[in-house]
Amino acid sequence: MRRKIIPIGIVGRLAILLLMPVSAFAQKPDWFTTGTGMGVQKARIAVADFAPASPAAQPLGKEFSDVVRNDLDFSGIIDMVSQSMYPTQVPSQPSELNAQAWSDPPASTQAVAFGNLSASGNALTIQAWLYDVHNTAAPPMIAKIYRGDVTDAQVRLFAHQFADEIVMKMSGGVPGIATTQIAFASSRTGNKEIWVMDYDGANQHQLTSLRSIALTPRWSPDNSRIAFTCWAPGVRNVVSAQICMYSLITGKLISFPRWSGTNSSPSWSPDGSKIMFMSSMQGNPELYIADSNGAHPKRLTFSVGVNTSPAWNPKTGLQVAFVSDRSGNGHPQLYTMNADGTGAERIELQDAGYVIDPAWSPNGQLLAFSWQRPDGNYDIYAMDIVNHQLVQLTRDTGRNERPCWAPDGRHIVFESTRTGSRQIWSMLADGTQARPLTTQGSNESPSWSAPRQ
Amino acid sequence: MVQAAPQFADPSLKGKLVWSATLHASLAAAILVSALINRTGDRWEGSSGDSISVGMVGSIPAIPLPKPVAVTPSRVVDETKGLYKDEPTPKVVPPVTAQPIPVFKDKKPPKIVPSRPSKVLEDTAPPPTNAVPYGGGGAPTLPYSAPGKTIVGSTQGDMSFPGSGGGEFGSKYSWYVDAVRNRIGSNWLQSMVDPSVRFAPRAVITFQILRDGTIANIQILQSSGNKSVDDSARRAIMSSSPVSKLPGDYSAPLVNVQFWFDFKR
Repeated sequence: MRRKIIPIGIVGRLAILLLMPVSAFAQKPDWFTTGTGMGVQKARIAVADFAPASPAAQPLGKEFSDVVRNDLDFSGIIDMVSQSMYPTQVPSQPSELNAQAWSDPPASTQAVAFGNLSASGNALTIQAWLYDVHNTAAPPMIAKIYRGDVTDAQVRLFAHQFADEIVMKMSGGVPGIATTQIAFASSRTGNKEIWVMDYDGANQHQLTSLRSIALTPRWSPDNSRIAFTCWAPGVRNVVSAQICMYSLITGKLISFPRWSGTNSSPSWSPDGSKIMFMSSMQGNPELYIADSNGAHPKRLTFSVGVNTSPAWNPKTGLQVAFVSDRSGNGHPQLYTMNADGTGAERIELQDAGYVIDPAWSPNGQLLAFSWQRPDGNYDIYAMDIVNHQLVQLTRDTGRNERPCWAPDGRHIVFESTRTGSRQIWSMLADGTQARPLTTQGSNESPSWSAPRQ
Repeated sequence: MVQAAPQFADPSLKGKLVWSATLHASLAAAILVSALINRTGDRWEGSSGDSISVGMVGSIPAIPLPKPVAVTPSRVVDETKGLYKDEPTPKVVPPVTAQPIPVFKDKKPPKIVPSRPSKVLEDTAPPPTNAVPYGGGGAPTLPYSAPGKTIVGSTQGDMSFPGSGGGEFGSKYSWYVDAVRNRIGSNWLQSMVDPSVRFAPRAVITFQILRDGTIANIQILQSSGNKSVDDSARRAIMSSSPVSKLPGDYSAPLVNVQFWFDFKR
């Protein structure tokens, strides 16, 4: 039996070898010309209502379309066509697409997303397409079939994935953030615990139940762990702030060494191999670096005053921004230094005041921070690290603190007291489209996860 | 203390005491004056070196977001007029009576000396063999375009790139061209260009996008004449790699791209 199969394999391989050069030279590489004059244009996209195959699937189809529209609207690079300008005929299959009706005014869209959704028994099937309506002869930009369980969460996840696919196509390869998550500290159970939610505020759930105080969660770059500050018994059972580590794979805390004094505000190196944190294990609060399992702690700063809130440049991994009051005027200020502790220099702002919570953008170009100017509240600012241009992102809306960048570099999550209580908000990185993500209890110190693989 | 008192009265110490008092007084005065001049004192790191100063701007180009659309007021319709106030009554302008044009006293027309006819210099040389006939010229039919617009479609001129054919990619996958342009445009930052440069001629860079979106073979086809602009353009392309994968039904292993950069601050 086996011997009979072998010659067929050889023939097959020979056929492949013979066909290979033909297929390789079948089409010569094409070319195109384009260019830029500094600036980006938004792509105009419409999302038709996804047609339900049965009346039972009606709410799921509506939810899918709404979530996709919401994701695209918040992506910052897509101009959503108003639904009142959609043609009355809604396609559910590519054969039903009347491209002319979508490309002409008033819709005048560049691309239209449509599809259908069927839920039979416990099997959910979503067919989704994205078509370039100016060029219907070309194959679809996206054609996907999603299959899963008939649950609300599953529909939302598929909608996020479809939206990410569209954003990635339209932005030229930058992954979307609709499937990312945000970790934060919440006191809604009575104790400050670490919680996690989807990037749009849905699906909020509690991770830790330590019944003490948990703060400043930070996702590891591979999304497998969350490092945070916890109040726990340390050396000689004295309860103090310590670094804790939560594994999202096992769903449990994993061991991390404890030191004397206060240990807080962990920060991951971009490769996930090191952790930088503040510790007063030798008396003064200084920055220390350790392996990601807590081994080999090493002191990095030697100065009078407090040094805390390290943030690692995610692009280079060579530069660290941190907060220090070493200048002696009693005001914490921003400093940058090399990741080995050398070359500290102060970022001098035109006003004095408290400057805290540095956060790097993913491209390593911008540093966001919160700054209390002498005449006002805490507000979020972003600074170009190359030419030191500064832009104010929030104003006149309560205290706005602890910014954290989304992995696409276009969004910032932060905490704000603009509604009266401390809640998590997110906005576009130019300060527009701020929207609340939490409403219950008091919520603080958000951290945006890396893109999901 | 009582025994010590006579020592202060010692005349030999009196001069030294006066000097001491004067010195102390002048020191105190110096401290007071310096405190008045500089109340804060020197900073911990000193006034130079280890710090960088920061300037406030309206927006930072490094944020990879499109600029907001500027809404300009309509020039055709002024919606504010007449909302709560009546229009002012127009002033009555007194009618101007027409004045007759004064007639010249001597009605002779001015004397015009006719100029001599100009001599036409004929080019007697025979036309060159590659001469374009009258009316056969015109704008080049090459893919030049206005700045900010994407050029798509095949060329009409007799121009082709070595090792490539067609040029249908731009028309077939215009969304892909737009996406690549936006990606590279969002990574091209003003801060990467020398601040003294205000304007630079167009730089043209060619590169290839492989199937998986990797950008390879970046070459400057036409320099802008400014190294810092060329470098920033090259860096924008490098930091955009990988872009999105090539469309699934496009069968060639790569696509050649010619990308132009117009720098203007």
